[in-house]
Amino acid sequence: MGVFSIEIVREYLPFFLKGAMVTVGASLAGILIGSILGLFMGIGRISKSWWIRYPFIWYINAFRGTPLFVQILLIHFGLIPLIMESVNPLVSLIVTLSLNATAYIAEIFRAGIQSIDRGQMEAARSLGMTHVQAMRYVILPQAFKRMIPPLGNEFIVLLKDSSLGAIIAAPELMYWGRAAQGQYYRVWEPYLTVAIIYLILTLSLTYLLNYIERRLDTA
Amino acid sequence: MIKVERLKKSFGDLEVLKEISVEIKPQEVVVVIGPSGSGKSTFLRCLNLLESITGGKVMIKDQDLTAKGTNINQVRTNVGMVFQQFNLFPHKTVLENIMMSPMKVRKWQRKQAEEKGLALLRKVGLYEKAHVYPDSLSGGQKQRVAIARALAMEPEIMLFDEPTSALDPEMVGEVLEVMKDLAKEGMTMVVVTHEMGFAKEVGDRVLFMDGGYIVEENVPIALFDNPQQERTKAFLSKVL
Repeated sequence: MGVFSIEIVREYLPFFLKGAMVTVGASLAGILIGSILGLFMGIGRISKSWWIRYPFIWYINAFRGTPLFVQILLIHFGLIPLIMESVNPLVSLIVTLSLNATAYIAEIFRAGIQSIDRGQMEAARSLGMTHVQAMRYVILPQAFKRMIPPLGNEFIVLLKDSSLGAIIAAPELMYWGRAAQGQYYRVWEPYLTVAIIYLILTLSLTYLLNYIERRLDTA
Repeated sequence: MIKVERLKKSFGDLEVLKEISVEIKPQEVVVVIGPSGSGKSTFLRCLNLLESITGGKVMIKDQDLTAKGTNINQVRTNVGMVFQQFNLFPHKTVLENIMMSPMKVRKWQRKQAEEKGLALLRKVGLYEKAHVYPDSLSGGQKQRVAIARALAMEPEIMLFDEPTSALDPEMVGEVLEVMKDLAKEGMTMVVVTHEMGFAKEVGDRVLFMDGGYIVEENVPIALFDNPQQERTKAFLSKVL
């Protein structure tokens, strides 16, 4: 099929960069929403009342136990049309990434909280703190440090998984890769460029997370 | 000060406390001894409801802990507790460990909490350690900080759960000294310990527990020198 055509890369580069911005935006939104919901779900997941615990356990089972690919189709073509007038693939992508990340992050929070020695909670409660105060001032600050490595992992997976948005035509990075492939019937130029951009994004995220981990380690 | 009536505690099918009744007066120092598994730590942990109660009643200053409308957090501010494993907060400095509860629970201003914290550190001989993290302290120092942290809430009662059992032998003395000072100042104390010397010297009364019951109780001299029950004699012959 001839030599590597830098022309194709040059022509599509603005679209790839625009797509990369969308990828970063959707991933950040997913990370943010997933972390907030995941925190509450992780705490609810270890509640003493079964009627709080069980719905969360089953939510986590459902979202960890089914492919993201299936989830994105169900949400885009099934769930979103039920609750919104107009369907926007980017919204569907963010919703799917958030709901999926929530399940994984809930498990990370749960493991982090449960890894803290029971004596910490007992000491805090014996000093008159409420359960919420003990969580906030004693347990979570310690648990958070231990959650950084698995959270970093999850964020990287999420960023890469956002490429599935291409299947519902969310204009993220992979969508533009497929567009270029479709126009020129070339494989290496679009997909290799897209792969390298993903690599740059995930490596940047890795360095950022390592930096945060080091900072927290000395604190 | 503390009134325990027919207290029962089970973990599943395991009955750890069978029926405990005891009354502890203000400023009294009560030492609880007994073999491991006798329920003495569980008994202590029921006094501030770190363990839920299966049956009976615990009253702190005439307040029934399990009654409806009792605010257990409120009660706990008046009942300090010191643990075998110290349980200091590793992400906070020594001084911050002590200041946390007064600020978060009692809503003290930072300055007031800091003054209180530094005064307590001076009292337990660790003033110069105020700004280090617990990690860098020895076991004995950690336990003295834990005592200071509990005292920061200005409790009227202090519970000690084997406070010297996790310490190297040469550090036991410094912790017991702090506890002796507290006793002298008139603190009401309940101490679960294996330190028979401390029991004899500081205790106003000794409870010997075994199998979920208080088998025998008396002033230290009488209990140690002239035990009445066979089980007490057997235990004492092993530890003295």
